[in-house]
Amino acid sequence: MAHEIIHNESLNYQDYLVKIRAPEVVKRIKPGQFVVMLLHEKGERIPMSVRRTEGDAVVMYIRKVGKTTSTLIDKPVGDTIQHVIGPQGTPLKIEKYGTVVVATDSVCGHAWSYSAAKALKDAGNFVIDIQSFADKEETYPEWALNKDACNEHHLTTKDGSVGEKGHFIDLIKDWLKNGKKIDFILAGGELIKLKRLERVTKKFDVPNWVEAHQLMIDATGMCGVCRVFVDGEMKLTCIDGPFFDAHKLDFDSMINRYSTYANEEKVSLQQYKEQRGE
Amino acid sequence: MAGKINKVRVPMRERPVDERIKRFVEVPFGYSEDEAIMEASRCLQCPKPFCIEGCPVDINIPGFIKKIVEHKFDEAFFILKKDDAMPAATGRVCPQESQCEAKCVVGKVGDAINIGKLEAFAADWARKNGVKDTFEIVDKPQKIAIIGSGPSAISCAVDLRKMGYNITVFEALHKAGGVLQYGIPEFRLPRDLVDYELKYLEDLGVDLQLNVIIGLHRSFQEIKSEYDAVFLGTGAGAPRFMGIPGEELTGVYSANEFLIRVNLMKSYLFPEYDTPIKVGKHVAVIGSGNVAMDSARSSLRLGAKVSIIYRRTKSESPARAEELHHALDEGIEFMELVNPVRIHEKLNHVHGLEVIKMKLGEPDKSGRPRPIPIEGSEFILEDVDMVIEALGTLPNRLFLDRAPEINRNKWGILQVDENMKTNLDGVYAGGDAISGGATVIRALGEGRIAAKAIDEYLKK
Repeated sequence: MAHEIIHNESLNYQDYLVKIRAPEVVKRIKPGQFVVMLLHEKGERIPMSVRRTEGDAVVMYIRKVGKTTSTLIDKPVGDTIQHVIGPQGTPLKIEKYGTVVVATDSVCGHAWSYSAAKALKDAGNFVIDIQSFADKEETYPEWALNKDACNEHHLTTKDGSVGEKGHFIDLIKDWLKNGKKIDFILAGGELIKLKRLERVTKKFDVPNWVEAHQLMIDATGMCGVCRVFVDGEMKLTCIDGPFFDAHKLDFDSMINRYSTYANEEKVSLQQYKEQRGE
Repeated sequence: MAGKINKVRVPMRERPVDERIKRFVEVPFGYSEDEAIMEASRCLQCPKPFCIEGCPVDINIPGFIKKIVEHKFDEAFFILKKDDAMPAATGRVCPQESQCEAKCVVGKVGDAINIGKLEAFAADWARKNGVKDTFEIVDKPQKIAIIGSGPSAISCAVDLRKMGYNITVFEALHKAGGVLQYGIPEFRLPRDLVDYELKYLEDLGVDLQLNVIIGLHRSFQEIKSEYDAVFLGTGAGAPRFMGIPGEELTGVYSANEFLIRVNLMKSYLFPEYDTPIKVGKHVAVIGSGNVAMDSARSSLRLGAKVSIIYRRTKSESPARAEELHHALDEGIEFMELVNPVRIHEKLNHVHGLEVIKMKLGEPDKSGRPRPIPIEGSEFILEDVDMVIEALGTLPNRLFLDRAPEINRNKWGILQVDENMKTNLDGVYAGGDAISGGATVIRALGEGRIAAKAIDEYLKK
């Protein structure tokens, strides 16, 4: 039952490309769905986006940020993890909208945007994919970007050290200001940036969906920790999401709830590092 | 029956309060052999035993008690096992005081026989001594899918497997057991008991598939066409929130979330276990059922001051008597006749719970007096910094939404006939999926009725 890690490669100083065998997931997963991983008996259940599938493996971009992701990344190829559960969540609604922008600015966005952009492109949309990074150091190698999933690709960095200078919000804002016709925007990454993007897209009245990310435990609709408020109604990110209409989503409560266990996550990571003598 | 009635129960030795409130170990120590025999000897062996009438699965109660008196503990266990798939669990979690023990004749003049503890004793004795019921399985060709692995599913699976059917159990989580695994804390139901029952399933040759969500990973329709019959033990795992302002704040938990962290993920052992948990300084638990008691007592063990907020009074509390008594003994505050109206915040975290005073009116549909808010009586529990809502659960729509052809009521509770059959041929259901939240013993009984009905259906 264990799942073998068949590839583990760094994309920059903190993000990794990991491929894990999960044939049951691969058989069924659709763009927008995610998996839940549990590394070992004492592990936590963590939701993880899937970039694409390859053979019987799921291909993921993972940031080494807490104890669980560090433990996973520190495993060599050939090692296994206990559970890869999925696919979870509601698949993205893939329709023909016209011109679609897929915009992401951190690993949690880049991690799923490839398959979303590709599916939207295959459905006949003109897909403009924007990937934003902080600087050159954070930028992924060219082969790891979404270039072959879209019709037009933009790479931006905050400091302009590579690609266009700025953030995807700046690009989208300029385009809309200049009257560019955009029929649908799908965005993911830093929640605070998604909130800012929504202000722009609302002003220009452009349909805008975003990936909500929220704490999860079972990810089967049982615990309610991933609740978000959409048009005032309680929705569960794990089964109703993870994609919601940005114009209806209460960003503030989502951002607040996401950081509930920030301190405990630090404790966990610290303990892991000490155990490894780091 | 000759002799004088012994009106007083053999007391149950319990772990002292100051010792138990720091740990998640079981509170009662259980009867020793001598204590069990002494308690069992109080039974009058009524020719017309009313206790059996009080048992949802008609256990031969005087029968197993007599065997304990005779020091034939294995035979006592076999009698239990005949009607109850998990006596070690039900002996601990059944509300005996409103079932078998409520009907006990000795109870009319003194303390009712401690049937629950005697049941747990016999089951524990069998487990410790490796005593199992023996049977021969003659394989049949038909395949049956059981969805869920909680009490009703386990009971249905065991019976059908013993009849020779090929059984596949699909469990959504990474551990089987349903509510026994994620819901009931270890200080009430030690997990070695649950593991033992699950091992028993495996030994019987039941194929247990973890991490499979029917509806999401494999469609119900696919399962229905692949198997000769299906049992739905999908439970009532979805949390219910009050819908008051402030539920979006950090520090607000559904009891499900809190107990899943504590029980399934063992977060009380964080950071040895990776799933974190934190409790506030003053936790308000809303509700007064068993789940509320479990949440309150778990919070206490994690170091919080705990208040139970209940809109009725202790006498209307639906919790097991033993749980309420343990909670109060452990120093949990019980606030009666108050109902939350708003959760206040400071920096987006819970900071005060506003409640309104209630009074009791005429009985409602449940037969309990209806709580009525007293206008203008709102006040704030200033130091509450965590809220756990234990208001009952609903069937999970993850499955229901994807199986619209099964009849359910407006709350999503599956509709079955007296044989646990749904509106679909070959599809049966039991447990919390058909009740919205009842007892383990009722679920075990329903699993058993369904197994019998499935057998009859497949013989046709």
